[in-house]
Amino acid sequence: MTFKENQLTPSMILLVRRSKRVGAFTGLHPKVVTSLSDLQSSLAQASKDSMWVSYASELTDALVKNAASVPRKLGTGLFIHSLDIKSIPALSSLFRRIAFTVDGGFIREEELAEVLESDNRDNLFIGGFVNRTNRTITFWRGNLDSLTVAFSAFEKSGDETRPNFDDFSVIDSGQTVKLGSYEAAVDAILYEYDPDFRREVSKKRLQEERTFGAALRRLRKQRGLRREDFAPDVAAKTVARIEQGQVKRIQKATLAALAKHLAVEPEEIAGW
Amino acid sequence: MAYTLPLAAALTKARWKVKIRDKETREPPHVTIIRGTDAWRIDLRKKEFMDDSPDPSLVLGVLIDQIMAQKTWQQLCDAWDRMYPRNPLADLEDQD
Repeated sequence: MTFKENQLTPSMILLVRRSKRVGAFTGLHPKVVTSLSDLQSSLAQASKDSMWVSYASELTDALVKNAASVPRKLGTGLFIHSLDIKSIPALSSLFRRIAFTVDGGFIREEELAEVLESDNRDNLFIGGFVNRTNRTITFWRGNLDSLTVAFSAFEKSGDETRPNFDDFSVIDSGQTVKLGSYEAAVDAILYEYDPDFRREVSKKRLQEERTFGAALRRLRKQRGLRREDFAPDVAAKTVARIEQGQVKRIQKATLAALAKHLAVEPEEIAGW
Repeated sequence: MAYTLPLAAALTKARWKVKIRDKETREPPHVTIIRGTDAWRIDLRKKEFMDDSPDPSLVLGVLIDQIMAQKTWQQLCDAWDRMYPRNPLADLEDQD
């Protein structure tokens, strides 16, 4: 499932120590920076739409020092090396948007290049990091937007497979999150946690599937609930009648009860 | 544990994968064909592609034949039912 919006791939500036890494990014025609002089000329030429990708911490440090005098935002910045937490505010003020690693959780460079080149990059993940204290995972999307999701989003599989949050990676060119032997489809995560993505999916559904009843059924299935699970607030037969479009006007109290069991606001149900 | 359909070496080398993951959008039950940043979903109840984009004709015929072969199809259906017992393929709810 892809949403192509004819977005242009931004011009890329690649900060590397060794030119060996450049091969994976050839399709993006990057300007390769390996020295301070390269960096200064790139800074002079960079536009607000440039994407900076750094594999070299010393070049990132030099960028921060040299860019402080540049009076404009530098586009987006992706930092694929360990980053001193104190440099994050400085980078955030230089760039319109940044993504960075905490514990090395980015996809391999060939797949990263593939995602950054894709028209569908907004809906693919390029990496992320696990926060055990908050029990959340923050994902980076291909447009460098972030999405933070609670551990509870990854419920055990029907065959009892549980996610292992100590073994996190993104695979399948940004389409799958791997947590040990547990795998989650990125489109399923986006469908649950990104209302814009959900709206796009809904728009593409066939007209007959866009009824309130069909939306209620999809959401109920996504939550793993049976119609009986709404009792005693709503009888299973009533849930069935609503899903099958046999109820013309749903009472406010019924709608509120359905929403409570589905853990959404009443007005959100129709959007699923 | 995610179900990955074993494929011929040539298909694997060409980066084709066929999967049912532990967390999928549950309705309708489906299997996903993955290649690079593209994915095609096949509805396991209707035995047809769920989306127009990317173009289903981009999927190799030999791969579709393998997926649709009776034995493989049954394996995929069994895998779905094992992983999503609360949304099985033979869901009779619509009849109540």
